[in-house]
Amino acid sequence: MKDTKKVVNFALFLIFVLVVIAIAERIGYQSFALGSFKIGLLPLVFAILITMLLGIKLCRKGILKRVYSEFNVNFAGKYLIFIMLPLMARYGADVAPKIREILSVGWVFIIQEIGNLGTVLIGLPIAILIGLKREAIGATLGIGREGELAYISEKYTLDSDEGRGVLSLYIIGTLFGTIIFSILAPLLLGLGFSVEALAMSSGVGSASMMTAASSALVAQVPEKAETIRAYASASQLLTSFLGTYTMVFLAVPLQRFMYNKMMKRGSK
Amino acid sequence: MDKNMNKYLKFGLVLFLSVCLVLFTQQVKVWFNGETATPISMMTIYGLIVLWTFSFAGVLFSDVMKKTKVRFLQDFPVLGWVSIVSLIFCLMFDFPIRAIQAVDFLSITTPVLTFAGISVADRLIDLRRTSWRVAIVAVFVFLGTYVGSAILSELGLAIMGG
Repeated sequence: MKDTKKVVNFALFLIFVLVVIAIAERIGYQSFALGSFKIGLLPLVFAILITMLLGIKLCRKGILKRVYSEFNVNFAGKYLIFIMLPLMARYGADVAPKIREILSVGWVFIIQEIGNLGTVLIGLPIAILIGLKREAIGATLGIGREGELAYISEKYTLDSDEGRGVLSLYIIGTLFGTIIFSILAPLLLGLGFSVEALAMSSGVGSASMMTAASSALVAQVPEKAETIRAYASASQLLTSFLGTYTMVFLAVPLQRFMYNKMMKRGSK
Repeated sequence: MDKNMNKYLKFGLVLFLSVCLVLFTQQVKVWFNGETATPISMMTIYGLIVLWTFSFAGVLFSDVMKKTKVRFLQDFPVLGWVSIVSLIFCLMFDFPIRAIQAVDFLSITTPVLTFAGISVADRLIDLRRTSWRVAIVAVFVFLGTYVGSAILSELGLAIMGG
């Protein structure tokens, strides 16, 4: 009896997924002007917005309550990574035809990895400015994905100020990361960065954020679609190789240095 | 052994669900956008089969690597392994590239984000535990990593070009 209910719920969940996809695609690509910038939102942004909005407790009534059953939400979380795998397989096919071009500017790809220190350089001063203390350590070490989470929890435990910082960033990134990067990419393009440089920088260490950023770039400069995807996925792959090392050997010492300097100055 | 078979059967089925959702999304795009959408051909179907195969191979490969003694290889995410497996095959053969490219790229992304949205539904409550301060910092952290890398890429490309 209980099992049939589970099966029905799961069927409803699958139908719901199809309906959301159809709605997101019906809305399609929407671009609007933000000041002098042109921002475009892809169906993927609407898909996550719709599913998140309908997932809030207030909306969970009737059929939606069954769609967002404990089992279904757990299923989505547990297997999200598998749903993502074909996307990662697709990236191999994007990189391969461009491999010569990528290798010819290979060192630029490696250099830009150091740019990920921007989380400390820009994030830390802002964090201290608005009054964060030890939490800032966790919240600015990186973009708060699994790598940083593991490092901080090993060093400080998650139940410390540093741990709360990185956990908060993790949650915000999970919820809003793709949306934020969908907006950041066109904004920076509008500021005058070249689309190649932005594509190379899209591999920030989260596959979904990279996808959001690079797809937003493709929407703006469709004639360079292949290059953008190839550069973005190559840099994502590189970040998954080098990310931990950049964090441990560069971000951590830099952060310690800056944190101590700023705290000293603050206490004077 | 039985348990393992079960596990891989499950993975295989979820991957199958994933590529089916991609096919559905591409069909929806054809319905709504007509001519401008990537049409579904036999190549698209081959492409989906290739994507499924590379994904599954990546999962197996990642599990094999977990048994090695090298920490670096153990920790490397399965997402990365799948890209690498796919990259290697696409460098060796031309067919998988052509097949995969018959699958519309954005049609792969919409189902993923639909799943992502549902998976975080229960974590929305966690937002209450995060402070508005970290929310502000988050935006600058994301901006920081992106701008930092973009400036260095821009410089690097300029040096290469000049």
